[in-house]
Amino acid sequence: MLARSAEGLYWLGRHVERTENLCRLLREHMSALVDRPVREINFGWRRIYGTLHRRPPGPALGVAESDEDYALADSYTLADDITFERTNPGSILNSFSNGRENARQMRHCISAEMWTCLNLGWLRLGTRHIEDIWKAAPEEFYADLAREMNLFAGVADSTLYRDDGWRFLQLGRLVERAQFTVALLLAHLDGVRSYAEAPDSEWSSLLRICLAFDTYKRHYGAEMRPARVLDLLVDDPRLPRSLCRAVDSAAETLAAIALGPGPSGAARKLAGDLTSTMHRPWPGVPSLEDHAERLRRLAGECLGFHDMVMAAHVSYDPEGAPIR
Amino acid sequence: MPHWRPGVDSRVVAFPGRRRAVPSDRRTDDRIPNPRGMDFSSYRLDAKFYDEVLRPDGTPRAHSAPLVDALAAISAAELGEIQERVTRSFLNEGITFTVYGDGEADERIIPIDCIPRVLPAAEWTELEAGLKQRVLALNRFLCDVYGDCRVIADGVVPEEMVRGCPHYRRQMRGASPPHGTWVAICGTDIVRTNDGFLVLEDNLRVPSGVSYMIANRKAVKSNLPRLYRRCRVREVEHYGDLLLRTLRELAPPNRPDPCIALLTPGVWNAAFYEHMFLAHQLGAELVEGRDLLTRNGFVYMRTTEGLRQVDVIYRRVDDDFLDPRAFRSDSLLGVPGLLQAYRLGNVTLANAPGTGVADDKSVYAYVPDMIRYYLSEEPILASLPTRLCRRPEELEYTLDNLDKLVVKRVGEAGGYGMLIGPHATPAERDAYAAELRANPADFISQEVLSLSMAPCLIDGRLEPRHVDLRPFVLRGRETRVVPGAFCRVALRRGSIVVNSSQGGGGKDVWVLES
Repeated sequence: MLARSAEGLYWLGRHVERTENLCRLLREHMSALVDRPVREINFGWRRIYGTLHRRPPGPALGVAESDEDYALADSYTLADDITFERTNPGSILNSFSNGRENARQMRHCISAEMWTCLNLGWLRLGTRHIEDIWKAAPEEFYADLAREMNLFAGVADSTLYRDDGWRFLQLGRLVERAQFTVALLLAHLDGVRSYAEAPDSEWSSLLRICLAFDTYKRHYGAEMRPARVLDLLVDDPRLPRSLCRAVDSAAETLAAIALGPGPSGAARKLAGDLTSTMHRPWPGVPSLEDHAERLRRLAGECLGFHDMVMAAHVSYDPEGAPIR
Repeated sequence: MPHWRPGVDSRVVAFPGRRRAVPSDRRTDDRIPNPRGMDFSSYRLDAKFYDEVLRPDGTPRAHSAPLVDALAAISAAELGEIQERVTRSFLNEGITFTVYGDGEADERIIPIDCIPRVLPAAEWTELEAGLKQRVLALNRFLCDVYGDCRVIADGVVPEEMVRGCPHYRRQMRGASPPHGTWVAICGTDIVRTNDGFLVLEDNLRVPSGVSYMIANRKAVKSNLPRLYRRCRVREVEHYGDLLLRTLRELAPPNRPDPCIALLTPGVWNAAFYEHMFLAHQLGAELVEGRDLLTRNGFVYMRTTEGLRQVDVIYRRVDDDFLDPRAFRSDSLLGVPGLLQAYRLGNVTLANAPGTGVADDKSVYAYVPDMIRYYLSEEPILASLPTRLCRRPEELEYTLDNLDKLVVKRVGEAGGYGMLIGPHATPAERDAYAAELRANPADFISQEVLSLSMAPCLIDGRLEPRHVDLRPFVLRGRETRVVPGAFCRVALRRGSIVVNSSQGGGGKDVWVLES
């Protein structure tokens, strides 16, 4: 397929996945605003901004730990910054807008149902703003939007022909999911260091963000143990959004794509490195810091993986490229 | 004032058995007269303009009777809902064009009036024959002016008219496209006056609007389903298939399974939706200049697996920007070396570069003579008498009658740079006259046309608005015309400017089977 189309589909996958991830992050936090102590609210904001590698607007977080009104008012500004802020390139609005723009340009490569699904969602979002969602339950707004993204993924799954176009779309979703999960876990581990012992609610909210809370309870009961949480979120291939599943699926998807004229071999080798980092057995019982160390390494490899896929199939030098 | 009120259509055959309750939105175009139905009582007929629906005495023309009946069965509120649904369907499907203002991109839709324009079969037959004849003659003319120039030697068209035309491309001299087809896709603008159909303009470079022909049909027929069935309308949705067949016929001879690509200037182009739509219809790749490159006289596109040879390019990029080596060197939209590949016969461009010389507003005046010259036939479709201001006596006439004429710039399209004398202020006319005197060769003048009118839904009432018609003609090995057109409407009262860039809208066109 046309290299630029493949790139467009890849980014479509990434932006839709990013929008959904942000929505789940915000939805969980909006629920926390209702009944959690101010300290946990600030923890949540730090985790969100840490995941996004973004500095929050205004004063540094955490100064208002004793002032509930201030914390809530501040949350309004922060939610706006992450959701609707046009100058924030990673805001939900911009992520969705970018995804829709990719779809608009690639309409001839996707199914009509996929386009309609995304466009109707966009038309619904286009009329919303922070004052409006803040009046009622903002978590519902995020839940609805996440559902739109799930719907899009389902429509794509049931309507798109399984050729390289589909694979690039998948690759975008999986790379984004892996990067997001790594960033979220690192931000979370960074946050829990500030506690002597982090309350269970911080770990359960992490599970809910990753849609794994119910599964955890079924498997491990009500007791929150960080090692088990990480085991489920990172290493359990049966969890649909686990990190190892995203990484393994990305490597499989890349392997199914016909070789590109760029450094395809290197891209596949990097995919192999990524999966072996992922599955390397621990020498003993790993500490949280051991987990963080492995996640940092995965973060670097994910970035490299993205660059290599682009170099192999999209941004290669046409001078020496073979004629098919 | 028309007094005609519709009765129940005697051809209605009720299905036996119990009648089921039908939801109101499916009842809206039923044939049962509705006391609150749309009528033409406030519809002002003007004898100066041909009305597409009503005769001068206010009774419906034979082919419009089902439409008038259907309107009579619909209340203003119901028709308003239908209009709303039609408009919404364009938004929901994202059939938009983007206007870029100060930093903000604004997606807009072309306003589509939900009341179709109906053309009887006999009228279409005449139009189709006239269009085919015209496109054939224009292709012969292009072969000739870039070849032996017999038409000039025989004194039919003056040499300066051809060589002096800004769209003449000397780089194309001696080119011989497959089947002598220079113009593969043509969008001809046709208007109707009390004297019949008239060709206003041939668009032979990158005509647009065909996606609206199909989108309008889809939106309008699903919202007026019964009327549509009853009228027995000819289909237009197979345009993409005909276009594909045409482009395949034009592929270089040794490429039995050609790779076709549609070349777009990019997503910022106002017609991007159409480019994407057509690429989808063709099953072709939608490429930009940066996706293509030339090597050893062949054109390739960059795929995820390497380079793939491209055989036919349906280009929607203007001549000037096609190839920075051959035309404008500052073009970033084009493909260096494309023209050379074309001249070597390794790729087909549709339309060929240089076709603009045949749709120039001055050359337009000679088309009837071309038809006689090349085909030895009388033109089936009339052209509008045109004065060329390069001729002193015609300039004089134009200046003396500026308040009665339409004056156009030769090189402009889209309704820009045009003076509509009767609608202009004296100051506007004076300013225009000064420009005319400075560069008379850049201008032509024509009588103000009495464009026909068709009813539109305006503020809950039926009001007449001026309309034109842009059918699309395809020519590969043979000539094909889809029975339909994009009908443009001047939605502002009294306006005759139908261009979508200047407040125009659209209508679906229903060509009847019999």
